[in-house]
Amino acid sequence: MNITPSVYRKIVAGKLYMDLNFHESIDLDSISRKACISRFHFHRLFTRTYNKTPHQYLTRKRITLACELLAEDGLSISEICNSVGFASIGSFSALFKKEIGIAPRGYRHIVWLKKEKARQSPVSFIPHCFIDSFTMSQ
Amino acid sequence: MITKLSHTTLFVLDQNKAYDFYVKTLGFKVHTDATMENGFRWLTITAPEQPELEIAILTPLNSFMYPDEEVRNAFKLLLEKGAMGGGVMYTPNCQATYEELKSKGVIFKSPPKDQFYGIEAVVTDGCGNWFSMTQPKDQ
Repeated sequence: MNITPSVYRKIVAGKLYMDLNFHESIDLDSISRKACISRFHFHRLFTRTYNKTPHQYLTRKRITLACELLAEDGLSISEICNSVGFASIGSFSALFKKEIGIAPRGYRHIVWLKKEKARQSPVSFIPHCFIDSFTMSQ
Repeated sequence: MITKLSHTTLFVLDQNKAYDFYVKTLGFKVHTDATMENGFRWLTITAPEQPELEIAILTPLNSFMYPDEEVRNAFKLLLEKGAMGGGVMYTPNCQATYEELKSKGVIFKSPPKDQFYGIEAVVTDGCGNWFSMTQPKDQ
């Protein structure tokens, strides 16, 4: 059965609500209310549209923000866990490792190493043909 | 033996505006953002599910990039007219992505239409480029 543009707009409204509020403790009820569709239909239509369930999508958003925060120096791993919307550090670490392939602490270290390399030698990230082609000595 | 593409280049009028579009609106990831002493900014991004291909977002309007003024003017004309084609972007759902991007103020040259290869909309980046945004036939 085809989904009409007006129904897509409702699904998108729910998705945008998740995009803005994923770090809060939102659930399918609040999301489907925002989309003005029943929770059953929202779950079915969202999954059909985005090839992932709303829960999988929320988890992905939270892990993505966690990656960005881990790349910065300000917050501890437990603070990041709370600020991206996870209730426990255990579930956060397990899900992070499942999604990214490495534990949060290890990810933070790898990002730090890359930043250090970029800071010490920014030119090393640029293919040499670009350096040769453009007058880098100016 | 060449096995794959590691970098491609996208020329834009304004790197900051392009950053806003590709990173903040489309959700692309920043791979490298390094500014040299002479002001040359090496900005590369990757598509959300394609981290191995770096897209270098460059502006060809600086004299150190293209010293020939005629070349710079040619690029400027093409970009200002929105005539540079950036390629094809894959989406698992063209209509949903169209609705979302429209709600965020993105300008489309055409809405989703059924084609023999899938459902296609044509999107502009506001920096001189247009793209096909396609949901392939079997999605």
